[in-house]
Amino acid sequence: MFDLGALGSQFFVGLSRAMILFVVCSGLSFVLGVLRVPNIAHGSLYMIGAFSAYSITKLVAGPAGFWLALILAPVVVALVSFVAERALFCHLYQREHLMLLLFTFALSLILGDLVKIVWGAEYKSIMAPELFNGSVSVMGASIPRYNFFLLLVGPLVAVALWLFTNKTKIGKIARAAAVDREMVGAVGINVSWVFAFAFVLGCFLAGLGGALVAPTVSITLGMDHNLIIEAFLIVTIGGLGNMWGAMVGSLIFGLTQAFGVLFWPQFAIVFPYMAVVIVLIWRPTGMLKSVW
Amino acid sequence: MVKKCWSSRKRIFVPVLGLVLALSFTLMSAPADARNIKVGIIDCYSGPPAVYGNDALNGFKLALEEINKKGVLGGKIEFTTRDTKFKVDIGLNLAKELVMRENVDVLVGTINSGVALAVSDAVSKKEKIPFIVWISKDEKITGAAGHRYVFSTADNTAQGGKAGGVGLAKKPYKKYWIAGDDYSYGHAIADSAWRNLKALKPDVEKVGESWWKIGEPDLVPYFTSIMSAKPDAVILCTGGASMTNALKALKSTGMAAKIPSWIHTAIDHAVLKPLGAEAPEGVMGTIQYLFYYPETPENKAFVDAFQKAYGNPPGFPAFNAYLTAQYIADGFRKAGKIDKEKFVDALEGLKVKNPVGGTVEMRACDHQAVFPMYFGVTKKVPQYDFVVASDVTTLKGIDVLPTCEEIKQSRKK
Repeated sequence: MFDLGALGSQFFVGLSRAMILFVVCSGLSFVLGVLRVPNIAHGSLYMIGAFSAYSITKLVAGPAGFWLALILAPVVVALVSFVAERALFCHLYQREHLMLLLFTFALSLILGDLVKIVWGAEYKSIMAPELFNGSVSVMGASIPRYNFFLLLVGPLVAVALWLFTNKTKIGKIARAAAVDREMVGAVGINVSWVFAFAFVLGCFLAGLGGALVAPTVSITLGMDHNLIIEAFLIVTIGGLGNMWGAMVGSLIFGLTQAFGVLFWPQFAIVFPYMAVVIVLIWRPTGMLKSVW
Repeated sequence: MVKKCWSSRKRIFVPVLGLVLALSFTLMSAPADARNIKVGIIDCYSGPPAVYGNDALNGFKLALEEINKKGVLGGKIEFTTRDTKFKVDIGLNLAKELVMRENVDVLVGTINSGVALAVSDAVSKKEKIPFIVWISKDEKITGAAGHRYVFSTADNTAQGGKAGGVGLAKKPYKKYWIAGDDYSYGHAIADSAWRNLKALKPDVEKVGESWWKIGEPDLVPYFTSIMSAKPDAVILCTGGASMTNALKALKSTGMAAKIPSWIHTAIDHAVLKPLGAEAPEGVMGTIQYLFYYPETPENKAFVDAFQKAYGNPPGFPAFNAYLTAQYIADGFRKAGKIDKEKFVDALEGLKVKNPVGGTVEMRACDHQAVFPMYFGVTKKVPQYDFVVASDVTTLKGIDVLPTCEEIKQSRKK
């Protein structure tokens, strides 16, 4: 009933969706792991990334605008998050999780309204460069070219993040702080700045996710809420704070969705969530080791 | 130090109080014999739906400018707006507040079908307040849940779906796939389109369905799986922000070029404009208002005036709201006095000026405004830097509405 082409195209498409989810979720997971902050405003930062990408492509026309947006939009988000961290978050790390959850939820509402004030309520849209327009035929199924680009970016981000946390000094300190922040402070490291750095890096990834997704969707208010629930599910099934867990979770989510759509299209919505339920019953702390 | 602070505040407070008192006296002394008609507008002015809410409000304001020059029953039409934030409970409370505290003569709104149905039932029907629905498209509003005090100047799902069914019946496609947003709007459009298409062309066949959650950002996996099923055509039932996602995915997967699809309101320029040149060509759509079609002098004048006042051409909500303002003005003129019962009687069968030319009748049997629907296909044209509807055919208003008999049947249930 299902030919190879259909299976293959769903696999590629699901994989590329998983890559965007991974970029966003790795950031969320990093912040969760190092700072122990369940940052609901992560979705808002992703949205700001998409809107910033829109503004940048409006300022710089042509393909250069898209590439610039891919670099600058996450930087804009990083700046916003830096201000938020130094002004607000850094006073709150000692509070309990419920307080942090409420606080970041409030922040997500505020950021949502800020986006409306800055960019207005209309739908926005940007174009991928000519190179990525149209689709490629693979085994008789057509796959958008942009999705191939996403397949390239995802692993790139994963490798860069792995190199950073394992091979650089600050990355190692951040990992150490995640395990025992008092000990890191005791050896004379300014933990506050380590946290600021980790937070900004996590949010940078949210912004990058927003910029990456921008050409494929309508850039609109509310895109933050759609994403953040999925993102939390993904980091939970992957293992809280574990970067590779975010990758595994994203793959599970993206692929179950893509194949669910093929096998049982009327009820495709439930497949990724079913997968989450199954994973959590089977492994309550997630697929990989949680740092919590 | 503290004392000084207080005294300086008092120093400001006294003149401000004086000003407020003076102002309220001048307001109170204004002549009160020919009273203004008060319209209470509840709609969503925050979040993504605000695009439509603001467009409607602008259309309403534009119509009032003209109406108030002449006046209605010696007074003017004034309005006050409330933001529902797209929430049913808030909308309901605001509607009650407008009726109880502001004593509005007519309620108008809203984009959210849930709010429209709740207000229609709990406020309009109960308090006997005329309520004109101007954007939300649930067919129950003037269908199964209709009553004496509720009216609609919006197109509804029965009409949108029927327009699609009538339009598609003229095409040669046999095997259809149905897909859309998994909530009431998506399913209502799908049911209506399929029912009408099947009635007009019994040999059509449904090969499959897929439904995604509202706001689903990535429709590519849905479209690639539809393409692998190879239907002749697709009925896509989506709207709002998902519409943009759908159009983008139609283009990026190449589905637009391979399989024809119909989406109600796909030819709405509020959807097509932000996409610019990247909107797909060849997508069929239906809508009740296009600022570039028909090219009548009336439509041109309406578009020019709107463009001058608000900086962009009117969308379909502005069209609906323009009609609404005229129904309120002409309804009260015909009623002869500001009386809610007489106003309702006056509206039944009332014909007002259609901004594109001709008239639009308020059907007496269900209180639904009857206007034509346009069926078109998206296409790039040199005049505009965004994709517009081409090969537009006009479907007569009465042909795409459920009959009065069908309405009666649905209300009996």
